[in-house]
Amino acid sequence: MNSLGWKQIVLALVAFGCIALALVGIGVMPFDALSELIRGSLGTKNNWNETLKHTTPLLITGLAVFIALRAGLFNIGAEGQLLVGALVATAVALKMPGLVGAVLSVMAGTIAGGLWALPAGLIKAYRNGHEVITTIMLNNIAAALAIGLVAGPLRGGTGLSTSTDVISESSWLPNVYQDLPFRLSLALPIAILLVWVIAVWIKKTVAGFELCATGANPKAAETAGVEIKRVTVRAMTISGALAGLAGAIQVLAYEHNFYAGFSSGFGFDALGVALLAGASAWGVLPAAFAFGALAKGTTSLQALGVPKGLSGLLLGTIIIVFAAYRYRKVKSHD
Amino acid sequence: MTEVEQLLINTIVLSAPLVLAALGGLISERSGVINIALEGVMLTAACITAIVGVATGSAVIGLAAGIGAGIVISLLHALFTQAFSIDHIVSGMAINALAIGGTNFMTKALSEHSQERVPVYPNWAYYTLALAATFWIGFYLKHTRGGLHLLAVGNDPDKSRQMGLDPIKVRYLALVGSGVLAGLAGVLIVSNAQSFSDQMTAGRGFIALAALILGGWRPWPALGACLLFGLFSALQLQMQGTRIMGADIPYDAWKALPYLVTIIALAGFLGRNRAPAGLGKP
Repeated sequence: MNSLGWKQIVLALVAFGCIALALVGIGVMPFDALSELIRGSLGTKNNWNETLKHTTPLLITGLAVFIALRAGLFNIGAEGQLLVGALVATAVALKMPGLVGAVLSVMAGTIAGGLWALPAGLIKAYRNGHEVITTIMLNNIAAALAIGLVAGPLRGGTGLSTSTDVISESSWLPNVYQDLPFRLSLALPIAILLVWVIAVWIKKTVAGFELCATGANPKAAETAGVEIKRVTVRAMTISGALAGLAGAIQVLAYEHNFYAGFSSGFGFDALGVALLAGASAWGVLPAAFAFGALAKGTTSLQALGVPKGLSGLLLGTIIIVFAAYRYRKVKSHD
Repeated sequence: MTEVEQLLINTIVLSAPLVLAALGGLISERSGVINIALEGVMLTAACITAIVGVATGSAVIGLAAGIGAGIVISLLHALFTQAFSIDHIVSGMAINALAIGGTNFMTKALSEHSQERVPVYPNWAYYTLALAATFWIGFYLKHTRGGLHLLAVGNDPDKSRQMGLDPIKVRYLALVGSGVLAGLAGVLIVSNAQSFSDQMTAGRGFIALAALILGGWRPWPALGACLLFGLFSALQLQMQGTRIMGADIPYDAWKALPYLVTIIALAGFLGRNRAPAGLGKP
C-alpha cells in the first residue's frame, strides 16, 4: 500500500498545521515556539541536564512498553508499574541504607512492577480481558495506593505534607560525569545497557523469538508450538518489571524520595516512545531522547505563556503521524 | 435523607454518564471499531459545552456544541482507523492525549470565562435519555435493517462486504452515533460540576468500556454493569473516613475501590469471549 503516499503527508501537514494555528491563536509565532523548544531542551548545560534526566525514565519505560508491543500487547500500565516500583524501592531504601540496600531496593522495585502487571497478563491470557482496560484500572489503583500510603504509613517526618523521607545518601546512584550544572547519572548508562540486553534477548534467545512470533501472528505461533498464553503472561510481567525498575532507578538516581505526583506521566509518554521506536529495541534510544527533549522543551515554553497542554497535543500528533507511516507495517492483524 | 437513600441517589448520579458512554462504546465496538477514544470524546465534549455554554449563556447551544464536538472527535477516530488503517488502540490513545492537551490548551487560552457557571439542563433529562437510549439501541440492533447491517459489519467485515455492504461507511455512521452518546456523557459530567476542569472525566471513559465488556457488548447488561460501578463509586464516597476493623483506611485508598472491582470482575466473570468477532479488523 501507499506507505509514503500523499494521504499520510497531508495528514502530517494538517496535524502540525493545526498546532501551529493554535499557537498563533494564543499569540505565539510557531517558529519562536520551535526555537524556544530547542533552546529550552538543548540550549544550555542545565537544559541538557534536565533533558537527559527526563530521557532516562522514558528510555526504560519505553523499553517496557516496547517489549509488550512486540508480543502484541498494549501495556498502558507502565505508569502504575513505575509508581509501585518507585514506592517499594523507596520503602526498602529507607529501611536499609547503603549499597546492599540500594541493590535490594532496585530488585524489590523491579519485582513489584512485574507483580503489578501480572494480573493484566493473566486476565489477558486466561480470561481474554483486554489488557488496555486492566492496565488502566491498575494505574488508577496504583495512583490511589501511592497517595494513600504517602499520606499515611509512609509519610515522612519532615513536615512536608505528602512525601516520604529522603533516602540515605549512601544508597544514591552516583554521577559518572560532572561539569556543573551538568550531571550525568549512572542511571543513563544503565538504561542504555538495558536496551542492549533487551535487543540481544529479542534477537538471540528462544524466549525472545517466541515473544515476537506471538506478537506478529498468534495463530501461526500457536500452530508452530508456541504456548502463547505463557508468552503473553511472561511478556506482560517482563514489561511491568522494567517499568518498576524505571521507578526504582528514578528514586535512587534523581528523586531520592517518593511523593504524590512522582511521575509526570512517563508511562504514557512511553507509549509514544515505543511506537516511534519501530521494530528494533535500539529505536527506543532516539525516541526516548526526542520525548525527553520535548518534555523539557515544552516546560520552557510555558514561560512564553504556552499552556502545558501543548505536550499532549504534540504527543498525540506525533503518535498519529508516525502510526500512519510506520506502525501498521510493524504489527499486522491476522 | 437516610444513608441508603443517599447511596442510591449517588449511584444514579455516578452511573448515568457511564451508561451514556458505554452505549457510545457499544455502537462503535459492535461495528468493529475498538473505542479507547471514548475518554477523549467525553472530555472534549465537556470542555466545548463549558466554553460555548458560558460564551452564549444558552444551555441548548452549549449542549449542541458538546454533541457536535463529540461527533467530530469520534469521526477523527473513524478517519484514523478506517482511512489510515492505524491500529484502533494506538488511535484511541493518541486521541485521548490530543483531548487532554487540547482541552487544557483551550481553557488556558480562554481563561477569562472559567469562573462563570455553565448553563445546563437538569440531570433527570439525561437520566431519561440514558434509559431511552438503552431501550432504543437494544431494539435498533435486533429489529432494524440498519442495526443488523451494523452487527454484520462488526461480526465479519469481509462477508458483509461480499453481501454488498460498505463496512467503512457503516463504521463512519456508527462513530457518529457513538460520538453523540459519548458527547452526551461529557455534557452530563460538566453539567454536574457546572464548570470545566482539567481531565475532569477522570478515566470514566475506560470504566464505561469495562462495563461494556462485562455486559458482553449488550445494552441492558452493560447498563447493569454501569449501575454496579456507580454503586461502588457511591460506596467509595460514603466509606471515606470510615474505620474498618479498627484501622483508619486512608481517604485516597477508597478511590481504588471501583477500579479494584473492575479488575476482579474481569478476572472472574469474563470466562468466554463474547467480543464482536470483527473487532479491530480492517
